[in-house]
Amino acid sequence: MELKTLCELNGASGNEGAVRKAILEAARPLCDHVRIDRMGNVIAYKKGRTGNRRLMFSAHMDEVGFIILDATDDGLLQFRSVGGIDPRVIVSKYVLVGEKQVKGVIGALAIHLQSAEDRKRVLGYDSLYIDIGAKTKDEALADCPPGSYVYFDSSYQPFGDGCVVSKALDDRVGCYNLLRLLENSYDADVTCAFVTQEEVGLRGAHGAAFDAGADAVIVLEGTTAGDMGDVEKVRRVCEPGKGVTVSFMDNASIANRELYRELLALAEEKGIAAQVKRASTGGNDAGAYQRTQQGVRTCVLSVPCRYIHGPSSVVKLSDVEAQYQLARAFAEQA
Amino acid sequence: MKTEDFLREVTALPGVTGNEGAAAAYIADAFRPWVDEVEITPLHCVVAHKKGDGPKVLVCAHLDEIGMMVSAIEEDGSLRLQSVGGVDPRVLPGMRVRVYAQGGMLLGVVGATPPHLLKDADRKSNYTWDTLYVDLGMSPEQVREKVRPGDTVCFEARYVELKNGRVATKTADDRACVAIMLAAAERLNALRHHADIYFVATCQEEIGSWGALVSGFALAPDYGVAFDVCHADTPGAPANSTSKITSLVTSKGPYLNPFLVKKLEETAKSNGIELQVSVDPRSTATDADELSVTRAGVPTVLLSLPIKYMHTNVETFDMHALTEGARLLALYLAQVEQSWEDELWN
Repeated sequence: MELKTLCELNGASGNEGAVRKAILEAARPLCDHVRIDRMGNVIAYKKGRTGNRRLMFSAHMDEVGFIILDATDDGLLQFRSVGGIDPRVIVSKYVLVGEKQVKGVIGALAIHLQSAEDRKRVLGYDSLYIDIGAKTKDEALADCPPGSYVYFDSSYQPFGDGCVVSKALDDRVGCYNLLRLLENSYDADVTCAFVTQEEVGLRGAHGAAFDAGADAVIVLEGTTAGDMGDVEKVRRVCEPGKGVTVSFMDNASIANRELYRELLALAEEKGIAAQVKRASTGGNDAGAYQRTQQGVRTCVLSVPCRYIHGPSSVVKLSDVEAQYQLARAFAEQA
Repeated sequence: MKTEDFLREVTALPGVTGNEGAAAAYIADAFRPWVDEVEITPLHCVVAHKKGDGPKVLVCAHLDEIGMMVSAIEEDGSLRLQSVGGVDPRVLPGMRVRVYAQGGMLLGVVGATPPHLLKDADRKSNYTWDTLYVDLGMSPEQVREKVRPGDTVCFEARYVELKNGRVATKTADDRACVAIMLAAAERLNALRHHADIYFVATCQEEIGSWGALVSGFALAPDYGVAFDVCHADTPGAPANSTSKITSLVTSKGPYLNPFLVKKLEETAKSNGIELQVSVDPRSTATDADELSVTRAGVPTVLLSLPIKYMHTNVETFDMHALTEGARLLALYLAQVEQSWEDELWN
């Protein structure tokens, strides 16, 4: 399945249905057994030639988005984010609301009408709204009732030197590479878990981890790059174009040291571009896998992603390829 | 051409103030079937002449748009920006933009620090021109080869139909009003008119109505009609600063000729066209300001289409108000008579 197709599907945490359906269909012919578990995760199992190892690869299907709370009397929709979205990146953006994909914009007071204080004030979720053109509260809520999910109306576009810009690259890049991993055969038993609700607390992965029974879990992620503009050097986590990142630690887990070293050595041996994720920012499903049942060894391989959790995140396709190559090389090891 | 099709295409074209060539060429072609002569002036105003034997009327709506220019290229290849006209920097983070470099258009992304790296202080202050940048997804060497300071940067172009005939797009300010002029020119082909009409899509409004200034001098009209956008009702707006989005607005105040405003109101009333009134005690901040004092003076009216979110890429207007605007403009122009000259200051 194309990365573009995956990114343009809408699936915020708790509303992953469209992504789940597409992945289920794509995975079915590629594996021996596929199922949907109690948390809505897609678990695809591929029996190995020897079954000498039991490996699990995991990526999350959900993306950050918004959810409708209510509407004002004059028909403007009030909303909150699902997952972490800096409200400063959503002013003046196009969105799609609810099951009917109602078109809307996130408007804000025109610059001419702002006072000096207005210009300094950060517009938070309390002062932002979605305008779908409705004239009344009833009209607005008829198609977009409370609980409707909202997505950036944001296409996938190639640009620059081998880069793409899209919403949801975090973590459809991981889903994309999991599906590619299922196309090969291995000695090891391989399970690919496409999990839900990462962005709201690693919730899907907790369920997947309970049933995992793996020797090691490799999490495929998109991680924050922050290598341009005015980010201080010390907080420049990783750089697009320099390969897949291997994490020693983040805010949710500590990589198994042997696994971490093994993956870096493997990248070097196979000539796969890799970089160490320098700063311990963010957290991901590895935290859930590491601490469920008796615990399991984990490590995270990420695609560096600029402007993550926004309508226009950016990755370099060579890094997406490097993530796949390193995960595959790991799976193919005897 | 249908008004919707014209709007969809014309709003997508780049036309940042001072660099309006592409928009001007497209607008000139659109007017040709409906008028006697079309000319593009050296500054990129489009002048479409519909001949008549009566008073000379200059109708204008500006074709330029607010935008940005590349001000510097940083070591990491990121582009710093300078605003051209009043761009609100709060709308830029996460936006896709088009950089018009000499070798062609490049897609860019306005960078924003992800929430994971934000400090508490960051969350409390807005991005400014000093902290915003454009990422072209290329190495610094590639960027320097393709881009030069001064290259124009536009918002990404979108045209989205909302409920109730509302449309959200870039550059409704003021190409929605250019569309009104075009539709009025078409309507006038089915009406009798004496007025000798010049429809002028003016350049360089956003930095001071310079296009209206030079067009007014060149054409020496008897009367003026400026057509621009005004603010539609928006939460948080100061009192008396906005109008309903659903119908047109005419302004009253010292910059606008009271006799012509009355004629406009009568035309609207007798044809069942809803017309709101806004009061401008001084400058109107539109082409009407310059036009009305061109040469020895040009009695002028101002018509406005209310839009929400002015000077952003989601400027939102009501298509019904726009259509009614074209009807009102055509009917008003068809009424202009030589005899008005005698009543102008009576």
